[in-house]
Amino acid sequence: MDVLELARTQFAVTGSLHFLFVVLTLGLAPIVALMHTRHVISGSALHGGMTRFWGQIYVVNYALGIVTGLVMEFQFGLSWSGLSDYAGGVFGAPLAMETLVAFFLESTFLGLWIFGWGRLPKWLHLACIWLVTLTAYASAFFIMVANSFLQNPAGSVLRDGRLELVDFGALLTNKTLVFSFPHVIGAGLLTGGLVLAGASAYQLRRRTRESVFFDRSLRMGVGVASVGAFLALGFGYAQFGGVQEGKFDGSTGAAVPLGFMIEIGQLLAFVLLFILLPLIYWLPRWRWTHVVLMLMTPVPFALAILGWMAREIGRQPWMVWQKLTVADALTPGLTSGMVTASLIGFAGVLGLLAVVDYVLIARIVRRGPRDLDLGAVPAGARPAPAMTF
Amino acid sequence: MEVIWFLFFAVLLAGYFALEGFDLGVGLLLPVLGRTRANRDRMVAAMAPFVLANEVWLVAVAGTLFGVYPRLEGEVLFGLYPLVVAMLLSWILRDAGLWFRRRLDGARWRGFWDAMIAFGSLGLSFGWGMALHAAATGFTSSPVHPVGVLLGVLTTLLFAFHGWTFLAWREPGAFGGVRSGRALVVSGLVSALPVIGLLVGAMPFLLEHSAPAATLNVLSVMALPFAPIMLGAQVWVWRTFRPGKGAVPLPSFF
Repeated sequence: MDVLELARTQFAVTGSLHFLFVVLTLGLAPIVALMHTRHVISGSALHGGMTRFWGQIYVVNYALGIVTGLVMEFQFGLSWSGLSDYAGGVFGAPLAMETLVAFFLESTFLGLWIFGWGRLPKWLHLACIWLVTLTAYASAFFIMVANSFLQNPAGSVLRDGRLELVDFGALLTNKTLVFSFPHVIGAGLLTGGLVLAGASAYQLRRRTRESVFFDRSLRMGVGVASVGAFLALGFGYAQFGGVQEGKFDGSTGAAVPLGFMIEIGQLLAFVLLFILLPLIYWLPRWRWTHVVLMLMTPVPFALAILGWMAREIGRQPWMVWQKLTVADALTPGLTSGMVTASLIGFAGVLGLLAVVDYVLIARIVRRGPRDLDLGAVPAGARPAPAMTF
Repeated sequence: MEVIWFLFFAVLLAGYFALEGFDLGVGLLLPVLGRTRANRDRMVAAMAPFVLANEVWLVAVAGTLFGVYPRLEGEVLFGLYPLVVAMLLSWILRDAGLWFRRRLDGARWRGFWDAMIAFGSLGLSFGWGMALHAAATGFTSSPVHPVGVLLGVLTTLLFAFHGWTFLAWREPGAFGGVRSGRALVVSGLVSALPVIGLLVGAMPFLLEHSAPAATLNVLSVMALPFAPIMLGAQVWVWRTFRPGKGAVPLPSFF
């Protein structure tokens, strides 16, 4: 592979890894925030336990979202300095907003939420998880603004060989953004909901003792996943109005993933909306549905990757649509040796960590809501309340 | 406007050294002060509530670099290519160590991730010294220049001292010292001195290479109103996790 292909592979590998974790973060954040809200309002131990259990899965998943995101941010300068040189005046603005404001606040509030159990007043502690959710969605929004600019360089003019920002509003109302952002949010909710439902189905299938806990979680998961499927499907079709002309013509690399995503996505949404959702009341007791739900759980992750392949491979050979090619965006002087070494380093380390992280999440799911680290009561402080569901 | 954004950038970068400096310092001290598992648990628990709020300053630095100095962003990161890759990998391993160390109970599991925290902290601390030297020479000198290596040793020692001061402030007496909040501020400033020196020297160059006025205006309107909220959130972290009775509850999530 030449240096361009290597650098593209590096971005594709780290970007895909990043989104596998981000898509679950986007789905689980509002779910955990809702559970926490019900716990604070009602004071019920059941909702407290749900917040801690699903919250722990949420934060363990979050760890890989952070470390893969770091590599993404720095990769722009390492491999694609031609982009910042040519379009940094435009592309840099949403990226700066994401890192400087949205993620800065998200990380700060997440630290307060994770370590604030038993220290913060309960309403302020609850506010933290909602602020984390809000800033996570703001982060996703600004990243989509930046990506949509690459798809359709709105709001900018070419001056002295560089793109300059003339209309920030046009960046925010980009035709490749307005339907794609809710589509991504729908995908997140679909993923988070199905993880909730799939993990609960696994516990119920094993005849867990915490049946009320997982009955509720399963129903909530199917409900959230249905909302997500509806949004992802609806805005998925709506965004075709904004797709660049000829994007998928003659691009097998983009058209094939797109086709698979649509076919599998429709089937998944059909099963969810027309079979599982109407049966939601009986799902916890009908054991055959548990197998179906468990089999469905990995599907939205694969769909998310297919969706990004369609969007990003479809952009080729352009970095900025019809303005700058990826070849011209490559950092001058970059050698295959440099990219190969860093590719092995990043893909190797992040890949291994991703496997470890999924094993840890699977272990939390298998053990169920016992001995959770998140919100654990300090040893000897007070006896843990009896958790009877 | 260029001056305001330079100051913003400088505060973020110096703030990163002053804040994340003690997290890296505690990581560096893990093999020294944390001979027993219980001690390491206490050291990590002491810094744990601050790490997420501290490391994110560097994420903001990189974002500001892209937004405010787009034409320097590639030059800086590419100029330091091997160093940036090594430092990113160190950062990843340090973070993974923190998030993973208490997820399983085995002594070998925790020992491995504690070693990753120490190793990653060392890579980052040392790397920062070398990066500062390379930046000061305009990315012309070799990254393993003797002065760079010496600066790496210096930043590592500064961070270790800062980390020790932090532990002596948050857990007075637990690790052999008692330090006031004022002492912690001083050690933070001292840790940031090398990078403040670099920023002062690079100021005219940075001002000259700022993004066009239109971009800075948009960033100012969009980002600056959030500055008080960002500051408020940081202050909230420090108020919530200030030292006192039962300030470092065990078990901690990290």
